[in-house]
Amino acid sequence: MKNKKNIILIAFTLLMQNVFAGTIHVVTTTQDLKSIAELIGGNKVDVFGIATGYQNPHFVDPKPSYIIKLSGADLFVTVGLDLETGWSPSLLNSSRNPKIQKGSPGYVDASLGVALQQVPSSINRGEGDIHIYGNPHYWLDPLNGKQIARNICDGLERVDPADKAFFEANLKTFNETLDQKMKGWSAQMARFKGTKVIAYHNEWCYFENRFGLQIVDFLEPKPGIPPTPAQLVKIIGEVKSNGIKVIISSPYFTTSSSDVVAHQTGAKVLTLATSTGAFDTVRNYFDVFDYNINQLITVLK
Amino acid sequence: MIKKILLFVAGMTPACMTMAQVDSLSMDSVLLEQVQNQLAQNTPSPQAPARTSPSANPDISVIGDFRTTYQDNRNRHFDANLAETEFSFQSVIDPYAKADFFYSVSRDAESGEFKGEIEEGYLSTLSLPAHLQLKAGKFKQQLGRINPVHAHALPFIDMPNAYVRFFGVEGMNDEGLSLSWLLPNHTFFQELTVDVTDGPRESPVFIRSTKNKYLTLAHLKNFWDLTDNATLEFGLTGISGANVSEHTTNIGAVDLTYKWKPVRLNTYKSVTFQNEFYYSQSTFDSTKVNAVGLYSLLTWQIGKRWFLSGRYDYTNKPTSAQFVEQAVSATLGWYATEFQKIELQGKFTSVNEPDEENNFKKQFTQVLLRWIFVIGSHGAHQY
Repeated sequence: MKNKKNIILIAFTLLMQNVFAGTIHVVTTTQDLKSIAELIGGNKVDVFGIATGYQNPHFVDPKPSYIIKLSGADLFVTVGLDLETGWSPSLLNSSRNPKIQKGSPGYVDASLGVALQQVPSSINRGEGDIHIYGNPHYWLDPLNGKQIARNICDGLERVDPADKAFFEANLKTFNETLDQKMKGWSAQMARFKGTKVIAYHNEWCYFENRFGLQIVDFLEPKPGIPPTPAQLVKIIGEVKSNGIKVIISSPYFTTSSSDVVAHQTGAKVLTLATSTGAFDTVRNYFDVFDYNINQLITVLK
Repeated sequence: MIKKILLFVAGMTPACMTMAQVDSLSMDSVLLEQVQNQLAQNTPSPQAPARTSPSANPDISVIGDFRTTYQDNRNRHFDANLAETEFSFQSVIDPYAKADFFYSVSRDAESGEFKGEIEEGYLSTLSLPAHLQLKAGKFKQQLGRINPVHAHALPFIDMPNAYVRFFGVEGMNDEGLSLSWLLPNHTFFQELTVDVTDGPRESPVFIRSTKNKYLTLAHLKNFWDLTDNATLEFGLTGISGANVSEHTTNIGAVDLTYKWKPVRLNTYKSVTFQNEFYYSQSTFDSTKVNAVGLYSLLTWQIGKRWFLSGRYDYTNKPTSAQFVEQAVSATLGWYATEFQKIELQGKFTSVNEPDEENNFKKQFTQVLLRWIFVIGSHGAHQY
C-alpha cells in the first residue's frame, strides 16, 4: 500500500515538472523557420512548415487543412512584421488552440531583436505594398539567423523547460556552424563588393547589405505592382549605364518581364532561393546561402 | 510521511519556479522592450521600433461598393449608386474573446434613402476547451459557401437567383448563438457548426415566430487536400424554422467546391468550380411545397490580375415549385491590388411566370459594373 502511494506521488511530481513525455509539435509559417527549429529542437521536436519554399510567403492560401496542424501545436513560430498578415491571423483564430495565440508562451515572433531595415516614417498605400514595421525579409541575412534561433530557443524553453540545456547546446552548435559558414560566404563574395544588380521585388535588402551588393532598382515600379512597360524601359537604361550583369528574381514570379530586360541588355536573370526548399538542393537554412552565393559568383565572374 | 511531503515539495518547487520564471521572464521582456523603445526615441537606433500597433483601437476599415447597372426591362435603363459602404471594426476584447462589427450603409431600393444597419456584430471565444468556438451576436450563418462571405469578396456582382429566392439578398443573417467544433479527425478537416437563432426578420420564407419556434441550423464542412495544388470542399447544411404561416420549413443544402491553385505560381493561376444546391420542404396552411434551387460557378484566373467567371442559375420559389427562373452570366474582374477591383457582369435571365418585379417580361438582360475599394485593415475571408 505504502509503495503504491509512493509511486503515485513520484509520478505526480514528475508530471508537475512539465516533462514532455512526447515530442513538441511545432508549426512554423515558413520553411526557414522550420529548418532552424529542427536544428535547435533536434529529436525533441516535430516541425511542420506551412508555406513551401517556392511560394510567395505574402500570399499563402489559408487552407483549412493547416488548421488541423495548428490545433495540435505546442509552439507556433512566425516571421512577423505583417509578412503573413493576409493569412496567418485567420488560421490562428480558427485553430482553437489557446497555447499558440499571440501573447501565449507557445507563440514565437522570430523578428524580436532583429535590427530592421526600411522602417517607413510614414505609411501610405500609394507607395504600394508597404510593410509598416519594416522590411520583413530579414532571414536573408544569415547573421539574423542567430536571433531567429535565439527566439525559437526561448520558445522551446518556455514550452519544455526541462530540456533547456539540450536546446542551448544545439543553439551553440548552430551559431558556431553559422559563424564558420559565414567566413566562407564572406570570402567568396568579397571581390564582388559594391556590385550593382537589379531585383524583381524589394525582398533582398538584408542579403544585399550583408554581402555588399547594391540593388539599383526593381522591376516592380512599386512593391506589389507588376512591371509596366515604362518601368522596363527605365530598367533597361539603368542596366546599360551601370553595366549590370544580374537580375535577381524569385521562384514565385514569372520571368517574362525580366527576360525582356535580359534580351535587350545581355544581363542574366537569376532565380535565387528566397527560402529553404526553394529548390530540391536547398534543404536547410545554410543551403539557402550556399545556393545563392554559388549562383551569383558564377555569373558575376 | 514527512519524507513524502518533502519529496512532494521538492518536486513542486522547480515546477513552480519555472512557471514563475516564465511569468517574470515575459514581464521582463515586455519591460525591456518598453525601455528599448524609449531609448530608441532619443537615439536614431533601428534596434527596437514598434512591432505592433501601440494602441487599443480596433482594426478599422471602410469598403466602398459603387455600381452602375443597365437593365433592358425597366423604363429607366441605367442606374448608378453607391450600393454599399461597409464599416468594419475588429479587435481582441480580452484573453477570452474577440469582437467583429460590420456596419453597412446602403440605399433602400424603394425609398432611395440611405439606411444603415448592423450587418454583423458578434463576439467569438478564443479559448474554449475541446476545440470549440462560440459566437454570440448577429452574424452571417454557416450556410454553403457564399452566405458567410461579404458580397464584395465574391467574384460576381449579383447574388445567385436560387440564393436570393430561398434566403434573400442579405442571406441567412440572424441573432443568437453559433457553436462550432473542430472534429478530432487528423486525416482531413471537418468542422461542425450548430446555430440556434431568433429567426430572421426579413427572409423570403423564414420568419421570427410569435411562438416558441426558433431557427436552427447545422453545417458540416469537409475539406480535403487532393494534391499540393488542388483542394475539395464538401458541405452539408440543414435549416429548420417557422415560415410565414407559422408552420415549419426545412431546407437542406449541399455545397461542393473544387479549387486548383499551383502553389508556386498561386498569384498567377487558379481555377475554382463551386456549386450549391438547395432543397426546401415547406408546410403551409393548406399546402406542402417542395422546391429546389442551385447555382454552378466556374472562375478562371486568366492573368495575374484578371479573373473570368461563368455562372448558371436555376431556381423555384420556396413557395412555388411551378415557378422556374434560369440565368446565365459572365463576369470579368480586374483586381488592381488587394484593395481595389473593378468587375463587369453580363447576365441573361429567363422566367416562366413573369411578374411585376420583372416588368412582366419573360426574359431580360442586365449589364452590371461594380467598383470595390478598401481602406484600412479588413481581415481575410475564409479560403
